[in-house]
Amino acid sequence: MSLAERMLRIDRRIIFLVIGLCTLLPLLFPVGLPIKISSEVRGVYDYIENLPEGSVFLLSLDFDPASKPELYPQAIAILRHAFKKNLRVVAMTLWVSGTGLADQILSQTAKEAGKENGKDYVFLGWSPGGSAVILNMGQDLYNAFPADYGGKATKGLPVLAGVQNLRDVTYAVSLGAGNPGVEAWYVFGKDKYKFELGGGCTGVIAPGLYPLLRSGQINGLIGGLRGAAEYETLIGQKGKAVAGMDAQSATHLAIIVLVAICNLFYFSLRRQQRRHDGLGS
Amino acid sequence: MDLSFDVILGAWIATGLTLFILSFLYEDNPLFKLAEHLYVGVSLGYTIVKTYDTVVMTLIVHPILDKGEWSLLIPVAIGMLMLTRYVPKAAWLSRYAFAFIVGIGAGLAIPRTISSFILKQIEDTVRPLLAAAPGGGITFDYSLLNPASHLNGIIILIGVVSVLFYFFFSVEHSGPGKAVARAGILFLMISFGAAFGYTVMARMSLLIGRLTDLIEFSDASYGRPTLWLFLLTVATLIVLSRRGNAHPPKQ
Repeated sequence: MSLAERMLRIDRRIIFLVIGLCTLLPLLFPVGLPIKISSEVRGVYDYIENLPEGSVFLLSLDFDPASKPELYPQAIAILRHAFKKNLRVVAMTLWVSGTGLADQILSQTAKEAGKENGKDYVFLGWSPGGSAVILNMGQDLYNAFPADYGGKATKGLPVLAGVQNLRDVTYAVSLGAGNPGVEAWYVFGKDKYKFELGGGCTGVIAPGLYPLLRSGQINGLIGGLRGAAEYETLIGQKGKAVAGMDAQSATHLAIIVLVAICNLFYFSLRRQQRRHDGLGS
Repeated sequence: MDLSFDVILGAWIATGLTLFILSFLYEDNPLFKLAEHLYVGVSLGYTIVKTYDTVVMTLIVHPILDKGEWSLLIPVAIGMLMLTRYVPKAAWLSRYAFAFIVGIGAGLAIPRTISSFILKQIEDTVRPLLAAAPGGGITFDYSLLNPASHLNGIIILIGVVSVLFYFFFSVEHSGPGKAVARAGILFLMISFGAAFGYTVMARMSLLIGRLTDLIEFSDASYGRPTLWLFLLTVATLIVLSRRGNAHPPKQ
């Protein structure tokens, strides 16, 4: 058996081990590779940065724990920015399985920023209906969410003063891991009720959202862990996403090398077989 | 750092389940099965409890009993019709509930989707290839890095037309048509490549997330669950592997 054949039949667990080490070692010994800010992430950051104090900022955490590694750092970075700018934060989720995680993210960030529940922020929780909840909120926010996550009536909360429906929201960001997510917020929210919308998403769905970005349907997009790292860099509070960037680069490099080597051995083997077939005939 | 008991317990459970799931990379084993079944069970249980609490109690029972909103019984009755599917003789009643859901869903989604994904995207694809300069005359932006540049606008227009032509099967793809269809394939391959690249990035991010937590939980303040549970997982895999060798499955 030639070297090419042996390499193409390599035990896949060796590849898992290589990828595992390429991820683990940079996490243990970070190098601190530079992070370049993309225009799509800057779009979200600049809009929040330029909002006047007390503006209503709606954050929809449309993901569950399965997407935590990518969207949790995004949510933390955006909330830190919003609280720093003293915006009125209205958080919610369209994913029932993400309710607990969303509550934990908001409570943790608010506590860190010294913000008060009901006055500076509110977590509306989850309401059934998927995308229809957005339409319901566009008609009457209090009808969609009569009570917040803690069971307190939403009507009369200081943080929602002057807010009747989605038309009163200054800026909304959906951090989505699928459907309902960013697309639903555009289709049933921004397009109908005319508020500005930004998006954050997992890497898997990011390519599908770029057409919305180019056409101006969303004003910015934070894509995956990389987007979260850029946002952390912009707000000057480096967290889990920045820490993971070295590992991300190392694994990408390892995968590129593996793909190149695999192709090299594949073409080498094909050439050997053709030569063998030529000799045989 | 003093950590509460529930935080430490959570760290041990999270570490154990992560290692059990990752053990599948070596080979399928009972630890992986345990973690897999726990994941499905817990997530389903959580969803049922949250849905019951939010829908049944907060949105139905409390408004009816506390505020006397008896009109809510109408959607409740329509919803209950769904359950008639379990009674063969009355299953036809569930069609009314489905008709209601399909009708409302289609009515809400179709106009909004056409407006957002078809009309808006066509509008963006056929945007002017030249722009009027502020001082008179026309300009053309050559920047490939600016998604909204005129050059990128032309590339997108060519891509959309060629891909649409590729999927137009009423005409044979020969002569100039073959070149256009080939260009369409090229654009499709580039988009698949971009999507796959993003998918790889996302999967690696998930691995980074789990390994970050494992590193954090290797700290003495948590009782080093990563170390102990890693040893336990490896020992179990060795025992299972030896037992498998000693008692090979019957053919």
